[in-house]
Amino acid sequence: MLAIAGLLALILCVQYQVIGRYLFNDTPTWAEALALLLVSYVTALGVAVGVRDAGHIGLESVIGLLPEAWRLKLELLIHALVALFGALMLHSGWMWTTLKWSERKPMLPVPAGLDYLPLVIAGALIVLFSIEHIVALLRGTIVEPAWN
Amino acid sequence: MELTVLGASFTLLLLLGVPVAFSIGLASVATIVAAGLPVAIVFQKMVGGMQVFSFLAIPFFVFAGELMLYGGIAERIVRFANSLVGHVRGGLGMSNVVGCTLFGGVAGSPLADVSAMGSVMIPLMKKEGYHADYAVNVTTHAALVGALMPTSHNLIIFALATTGIASVSVFNLILAGVIPAMLLTVANLVAAYWVAVKRGYPTHGAFPGWGAVLLAFIAALPGLMVVVIILAGILSGVFTATESAATAVFWALLITVFVYRTLSWQNFLKACAKACKTTGVVLLLIGISAAFGYFMALYEVPQQTGELMKQVTEQPWLIFLMVNVLLFVLGTFLDMAATILICTPIFLPICQQYGMDPTQFGIMLLINCALGLNTPPVGTTQFVGCAIGGISVGEVMRSIAPFYGALIATMMLVTYVPAFSLWLPGLMK
Amino acid sequence: VEFRSSDVHNSDDYPTVAAVRHMSELLAKASSGKHKIKVFNKGALGSEKETIDQVKIGALDLTRVNISPMNSICAKTQVPTMPFLFRSVEHMRKALDGPAGEEILKSCEDQGFIGLAFYDSGARSIYGNKPVKTVADAKGMKIRVQQSDLWVALVSAMGANATPMPIGEVYTGLKTKLIDAAENNIPSYDGFKHFEAVKYYSRTEHSMAPEMLLMSKTVWDKLPKAEQDMIRAAAKESVAFQRRKWDEQEAKSLAIVKAGGAEIVEVDKASFQGVMSPVYSKFMTTDDLKRLVKTIQDTK
Ligand code: NA
Ligand code: NA
Repeated sequence: MLAIAGLLALILCVQYQVIGRYLFNDTPTWAEALALLLVSYVTALGVAVGVRDAGHIGLESVIGLLPEAWRLKLELLIHALVALFGALMLHSGWMWTTLKWSERKPMLPVPAGLDYLPLVIAGALIVLFSIEHIVALLRGTIVEPAWN
Repeated sequence: MELTVLGASFTLLLLLGVPVAFSIGLASVATIVAAGLPVAIVFQKMVGGMQVFSFLAIPFFVFAGELMLYGGIAERIVRFANSLVGHVRGGLGMSNVVGCTLFGGVAGSPLADVSAMGSVMIPLMKKEGYHADYAVNVTTHAALVGALMPTSHNLIIFALATTGIASVSVFNLILAGVIPAMLLTVANLVAAYWVAVKRGYPTHGAFPGWGAVLLAFIAALPGLMVVVIILAGILSGVFTATESAATAVFWALLITVFVYRTLSWQNFLKACAKACKTTGVVLLLIGISAAFGYFMALYEVPQQTGELMKQVTEQPWLIFLMVNVLLFVLGTFLDMAATILICTPIFLPICQQYGMDPTQFGIMLLINCALGLNTPPVGTTQFVGCAIGGISVGEVMRSIAPFYGALIATMMLVTYVPAFSLWLPGLMK
Repeated sequence: VEFRSSDVHNSDDYPTVAAVRHMSELLAKASSGKHKIKVFNKGALGSEKETIDQVKIGALDLTRVNISPMNSICAKTQVPTMPFLFRSVEHMRKALDGPAGEEILKSCEDQGFIGLAFYDSGARSIYGNKPVKTVADAKGMKIRVQQSDLWVALVSAMGANATPMPIGEVYTGLKTKLIDAAENNIPSYDGFKHFEAVKYYSRTEHSMAPEMLLMSKTVWDKLPKAEQDMIRAAAKESVAFQRRKWDEQEAKSLAIVKAGGAEIVEVDKASFQGVMSPVYSKFMTTDDLKRLVKTIQDTK
């Protein structure tokens, strides 16, 4: 729901920019900056949902060739690796967010660190969803895709 | 040493079945650790790669496509296309080629093209009994034409990259791209038809007559207006590409809710959700590819290649062939803009030395980069197509040969027959 | 050690790229081959903003950037961007070589940057689809600016409609009349081919915002004093070289744009200067900044 609200806000921003330029002959300078910021939040949530719903693209040919027992181990490994990347994203994202928090973003009266906060959100969610997948695999259940 | 780490870890992760974006990401992390640099750079590059203003168009085009799909616009466009060319074997594939080419002319970006047209056409073709790999290949290859169209920002990037090497006018470049774009479209049509015949894809009845075509056209007109709005908006300077994409979403909402009255609240939410998810998947890839490009630049991979090549041969046609092969290899790993900016300074002087016009070189480079967009391991257009079609890159690659044939034939013609790119700009002098 | 330095310009011969290469030679000579600098141009290591952050965390040794992206990091860098602050190129060079320039370079230190040198970036003027002779002509025009508050304020003060936009979209924007004009120096008017889109380059010379060469403080602090001095000296020496290259580049670009049909318009600068006080009152808010402005204005 948050992501959807973000997407709609994004469209409103860009539309407002057009309206401002033609109706008031005054380009709202914050609209584009805000749109760019919003797109990274929509992306962060989309990335995480992609992990949950197994929406990211990869080569599956090798897995298909393996016997059942190996396939499970390999799938566990893949989810663990994705979780590792999520954890690194969370860590680096936090570092950049705090480093750039005191700096102001140009054109928008908010901290520049907000550019990197989506990394923290996406990283945390990737870790959570990967763990959900690992638990489901161990239990022999399936994670129901949320958004199809 | 770091390059070995990059290549080896990426290949291994990919083979294991780790999703491509995460394979690139983890390989980049491994490389940067091997180089003794902070891991944080990988993620800085990622954020930077995603925050390019032109990429804002992607979520919008994806969203507009979803709305068209759930709101019945696509059905009407397809009914029109079918009434026109449906009686030809594989007619939906043919109209897909034409539709994508038109859309590419508007968006100027293969990625936006495949997001928008692919979201509509691929599920539809699957519904009509076409195989997913055919649907994805037709769409992703037709979308590549967008890189040669007048609105392509890649033309501008190339002109920029020639600064200090040769004087290339953007106006000439735009004209030079027109005939190769038409050539590529024809080649795509031939490939799509050939595969359709071989696989025995359906024809949808006999030609219904021009009256039926006109009726279908009128029914589809509000939907087709999306394309007109975008094209007119950009060409007249009312909108930037991004703004026109947002306007397209607005228009699509307007007609599906008030004109066609086909969009339910539930489908609207579904369209939103899917647009968010696809945006996430696509932008993660674009962002993480930027990190990959950073290493290529840092370790000067392209420069070293250029040095080596000079020592191998002196034959112009062989040099051009080698340049094409090398561009292709580099382009498979890099983003289009990065390939253009990094390769132009190396290969343009060599090609010029052997008699190639810089404008011709630019068009050749763009077609070559386009080929890279549909080639693993890093093929962004192909990824988007696969994501929409719900199949793996491997499946798509098995039946890609005819479409590669179309692309390579066009590339060879542009490389060895200067008139294809230089005749039209020559007329204007 | 081979230090890594970043630049976003494509041409290997671009004045700032050539200057840092020249500095590398000077440094190699002074340190008997122990230190040199490798320049990664074409934006290979990232945008100006990205490389600034890399320098801050010590992941990159040096970067050459325009002064604008530093404005939000250390306030004193806003001063040389201010409109009509410098009377002429000579005045600008003298002021930046003097104590005011030193103070501004030094001010970035507590943010993690060693300011090594200012390079020339020429005077920026408005170019568009019509001549802009007085400030009245600029009224209502859509003028592209860099994505920064200061630039928006500066162009808005002229009564124009400031439109922030990435440089890559400007050509199409001018061509399709999405924007009426942009503002930049002559080499950029040439290099980005904007002279193909709009013909009138009106010499408003409203700002002479320079370029900066920054070194990472993290890296710097690990070097012995003698080597730090060597780097500083080589950087200072490269400035004269850069200015020579810049003057050549400007002459060359001027010839190119004129041959391409561009018209250079002389303007009534005083009319522009007269409307700039809101920019000063909005950005030169502290006593320190006001004092720096005064020091520069008083430099003879
Ligand atoms: Na590729
Ligand atoms: Na590629």
